[in-house]
Amino acid sequence: MKFAPYVLKHLRRNWLRTSSTVTGMALCVFLICTLQTILGAMDANIRSAAADRLATRHAVSLVFNMPYSYAARIRAVPGVVRVAPLNFFGGLMGSSSQDFANFFANFAVDPGPFFEMYPEYNVPPAQMADFVADRRGAVIGQDLADKYGWTVGSAVQLESFIPPYRVGRPFEFVVRGIFDADRVRYPGTNEMQMFFHFDYLYESTRRRAGVGNFMVQIADPTQAAAVAKAIDDTFENTDVQTRTESEASFRQGFAELAGNLVVLLNGIGLAVAFTVLLVTANTMSMAVRERRTEIAVLKTLGFSSRRVMGLIIGEAAVLSAAAGVVGVGLASLLVSNIAKIPFLGAALGQFPPLELSPRLATGMVALSLGLGLLAGTVPAWNAYRARIVDTLRAA
Amino acid sequence: MTSPPAVLVEGVRKVYRRDSQEIVVLDGLSLSVPAGEFVALMGPSGSGKTTLLNLIAGIDQPTSGSVVVAGTDVSALSESELSTWRSRHVGFIFQFYNLIPVLTAIENVELPLLLTDLGRKERRARAMTALRVVGLEDRAFHYPRQLSGGQEQRVAIARAIVTDPAVIVADEPTGDLDAKSAEDILALLDVLNRQFGKTIVMVTHDPRAAARAHIERHLEKGVLSHSVGRHDATSQATGTRP
Repeated sequence: MKFAPYVLKHLRRNWLRTSSTVTGMALCVFLICTLQTILGAMDANIRSAAADRLATRHAVSLVFNMPYSYAARIRAVPGVVRVAPLNFFGGLMGSSSQDFANFFANFAVDPGPFFEMYPEYNVPPAQMADFVADRRGAVIGQDLADKYGWTVGSAVQLESFIPPYRVGRPFEFVVRGIFDADRVRYPGTNEMQMFFHFDYLYESTRRRAGVGNFMVQIADPTQAAAVAKAIDDTFENTDVQTRTESEASFRQGFAELAGNLVVLLNGIGLAVAFTVLLVTANTMSMAVRERRTEIAVLKTLGFSSRRVMGLIIGEAAVLSAAAGVVGVGLASLLVSNIAKIPFLGAALGQFPPLELSPRLATGMVALSLGLGLLAGTVPAWNAYRARIVDTLRAA
Repeated sequence: MTSPPAVLVEGVRKVYRRDSQEIVVLDGLSLSVPAGEFVALMGPSGSGKTTLLNLIAGIDQPTSGSVVVAGTDVSALSESELSTWRSRHVGFIFQFYNLIPVLTAIENVELPLLLTDLGRKERRARAMTALRVVGLEDRAFHYPRQLSGGQEQRVAIARAIVTDPAVIVADEPTGDLDAKSAEDILALLDVLNRQFGKTIVMVTHDPRAAARAHIERHLEKGVLSHSVGRHDATSQATGTRP
């Protein structure tokens, strides 16, 4: 500890270089922390999928719809308990301006089977009854209600950005119910969503709207693969073939619409970490090179080579630990406020509440420390090897 | 009974190797410096003065021969043993002061004490005492950039004596100073030698600086000439040379 003031004073020697190095490393930590938090949330979302639910979609792509008549045929497949159409509506507030800043996920569903197979959406029975009875009714999540101050009875207008659902005027809804979720039992539940009647969409589009997805509840999760195959076999010789998969695979596929995010985000993190390692190593080398005479003087005074190396490693450790703490702090700030960021907040709202886990935070500070120590190794080793006489002669 | 010499260099040979060429800097050199003496080493550039000083200070090792300083054969010590030995037995004064710019005067002086088991208060007290000896107590919390060259060198001297070493080696301590400051530094070294009994080995090009020493030795091509003068305390005080 008695060497700490010496180490700290050296870091203050060139504050611009020190602060820019800390900032660079902190940004690296911040970026990796944020990306890992998002990946973690996506993973939690996938893991929260129920084993007894399947999703049937168009065999070619999620963007194509299937005939509504498929619902009855899927229901007839042995092992299927119930079937619920689910269409991503893509409704935006504001009639024509396409206000993505206030985007939230909204879906057309068949209320009966849908809410029966999704117990995580907890709607009070009286409100559910009102919702079922009102064709223009909608249920919204508690977070969504809180964000816009909507209550039961509030009127909401949405216009879809998806061409088949654009009917020349906004869809009008009345909030009939507000759901919440048991976050402990269903940690992946998103309360920034809205559900309304599929019939309303179907009729308003003059029955042109097909079904985006059929959510299928099965009796025996161990038979999921067989039931999925049976469903797809049912439509094998039709114009619109289907692809049925577990809800987890479906969610993963949905996430991968944006590409292989795991590889992409991890790749970005790795590249940034490597770049920062090189930059920090260069900075540390410069700092030590400037102090070659000083290092020789310390050794002359009796500081052993090992101790001199320790002092330089110590500088690297302080620098990188500070960067780690700053980076984690910034990431924590962003993650806790991400819901307030227009569009991005809504898009990430599909996933469980984003939280920077203590494990990730600790790991990132450790990673930062590791990068710093690695970056300080070469200059510290050079300082260790430097011979007093040679260094003083060269000065 | 005579006390053993503070510095005893015997048959030292120092050879540097540059590519395939061998450069003999010191060739069978022997030197004895009695405890409490003030010796000046003079000679032209490249004569091996600084090399000899480095060997005495334990920051370089001879190719052959032995260097015994304060009773320890430093030529037989390992790298880490030498570090420990230096921190306890030798004080080094550089031509260009070599203070750490980010540390205040007292922190610079305190540096060698960081290697001891002393507590912070005791370290501070000793560093302040050393600064008092060199007359810079009032500049303790000034940074090197806030001091003149002469003051910087005095801080460097305080750093050299703070561990109370038996031997002080000085490599052209007045080489970067004006005449007035140089005189002050030499007077200070004189005090350290006379009042505190420090053995001082000083390399210098300056005859006036050498004149302050009791013994003046000349080096020529790695070989020491005999002593060219001895001024004991009495003779120096009277300004005569025997």
